[in-house]
Amino acid sequence: MSLRDNRNVKSVKTSIRTTRNTVRDALPTVPGVPYLYILPFYVLFGLFLAFPVVYTLYLSFFEYQGPGSGTLLEIDLVVFEAGVPRISSLEFVGLHNYRRLFGDALFLQSVENTIIITLIQMPLMVIVSLAVALMLHAKFVRYSGYFRTAIALPVTANYVAYSAIFLVMFAENFGFINYMLASAGLPTIPWRTDGFWAKVSLALALDWRWMGYNMLILFAGLQGIDRRLYEAAEIDGASRWEKFRYVTLPQLRPILLFVIILSTIGALQLFAEPMIITDGGPANQTITVVMYMYEEAFSRFNLGYASAITYALVVFVTILAYVQLKLGGE
Amino acid sequence: MATASDSKSLPVRFALYITLLVIIAITFIPLYWMVVAATLPQEEFFTLPPRLLPGTHFLENLQALEARFPYLRSVWNSVFVATVYTVISLFLCALAGFAFAKYEFKYREPLFYFILATLVLPVQIMIIPMYLLMAQFGLLDTHIALILPFLANPVGIFLMRQSMLSIPDSLLDAARIDGASEFQIFYRIALPAMKPMLAALAVILFISQWNAFLYPLVILESEELFTIPLAIERLTGHQRIYFDQIMVAATIAIIPMIVLFLWLQEHFVRGFTNSM
Repeated sequence: MSLRDNRNVKSVKTSIRTTRNTVRDALPTVPGVPYLYILPFYVLFGLFLAFPVVYTLYLSFFEYQGPGSGTLLEIDLVVFEAGVPRISSLEFVGLHNYRRLFGDALFLQSVENTIIITLIQMPLMVIVSLAVALMLHAKFVRYSGYFRTAIALPVTANYVAYSAIFLVMFAENFGFINYMLASAGLPTIPWRTDGFWAKVSLALALDWRWMGYNMLILFAGLQGIDRRLYEAAEIDGASRWEKFRYVTLPQLRPILLFVIILSTIGALQLFAEPMIITDGGPANQTITVVMYMYEEAFSRFNLGYASAITYALVVFVTILAYVQLKLGGE
Repeated sequence: MATASDSKSLPVRFALYITLLVIIAITFIPLYWMVVAATLPQEEFFTLPPRLLPGTHFLENLQALEARFPYLRSVWNSVFVATVYTVISLFLCALAGFAFAKYEFKYREPLFYFILATLVLPVQIMIIPMYLLMAQFGLLDTHIALILPFLANPVGIFLMRQSMLSIPDSLLDAARIDGASEFQIFYRIALPAMKPMLAALAVILFISQWNAFLYPLVILESEELFTIPLAIERLTGHQRIYFDQIMVAATIAIIPMIVLFLWLQEHFVRGFTNSM
């Protein structure tokens, strides 16, 4: 089985879309119907997305005392009466939770760990997936579709399940990787007991999981480059390297940036892998921001402080995601 | 590109194929090794040198796993939760997307852009309030709590609206003239025309629920309700870790998805490239 091109489908779709745009003002106005159609979506959206976004921010200025009781707000519209229950009892602490972040050694450690893991993981993944995409894009490579499918397989792996495989493979004493190193006459690596190598083990697992995914995206990007640009470069006598440097790279730049930002966002939210593979150890050397948030919130029930941690993370992720959307728009 | 690569010498091609094969080997080794470990008896698993061929002990290992933890129950829970979620969410997203693409109404643009603005938010932002809400509703430790909050999926409504735009208005108008109700127009004409996009979105939704870990970890307590990720986390967290059993669990979690991927590849790939 091979990854088939969707080019035909796409071109049909665009042509329909153009005809459609010419009759833009002809959309029907059927009273009530569209609102009815979007209502279920918006009720769920408001309750489970819009409300939590605001409430997490609200919570970050409070200390959580316990579950709430009584009613926060009475809505009395004569025909319709409802109470909004108080879902938690809270004590206002102002910016205390945010100030606490900067003095919290474990939080700062989690930020540092997350950044280091990202810095080890991302460059390797981007370089390898770009190299593989370029190789598979080369015209003389046969069975490119089969190769792509094979390399993309890890995208199907459940996060926790694949983490469990790497947990076993990176075991220090009887793990597969140390065994291979030892049989090759190389020194074995303290994947569990050394903070740096524990981070490397996480980075390598992540690279394995996401390399194929990014390769697919970069490959699609390569296919989108106009062949005439290469022909023009050839007429100008460009070497293979010059074509890569002055045609491929600049043309691929937005997609490359997209891959880098998306991977960074993913790495900042790292949770399942460190939970399973290293359990944050040794000595908190692989605890990540989300892991720390989880522990503060659901082991120690500091929901207010955990909300402040969440918002610190959200600010970073949102900025990156916003940049990405801007790039996507180009 | 064409002329230069055609002239590539044999050694260059050879090196390239070797590199690709090495990368494929790296991709396959963890998966292959998982299957080997899952099919060997635990004692043979620890022998040096490690065994390189699969054994025949898969069912025995699975039985030992089941004796300790109701894992097949977790597999069923995962399939059930992800399927129910996918079907309902698909319907809601398609319905709302259709309204945004094919009707004129007041506040259409601001309502839509409001949802788009939330596309950039990470899921962690919802976890704590959702926990408090579910506690309030008495839904902690239920599957409903896993399904309900993510039904209104911003990516879903966005993709559905974008692709519904391509349905010709004349087709819908023709149905109106023939006396079809507005809902029939959605259900009988718009939905069938959207099959490829629905399939791609279904893949996105199913996988997101299938992989969900942090939120279910917060919501679920009872082992009999656990989904696959929680079950495997529980297995790796024990004092004594049974590697063969963990690998059985991982195999059951991963292999069917690989088969599904090979079968529905176009939808997967379209899903991935569209959800970017």
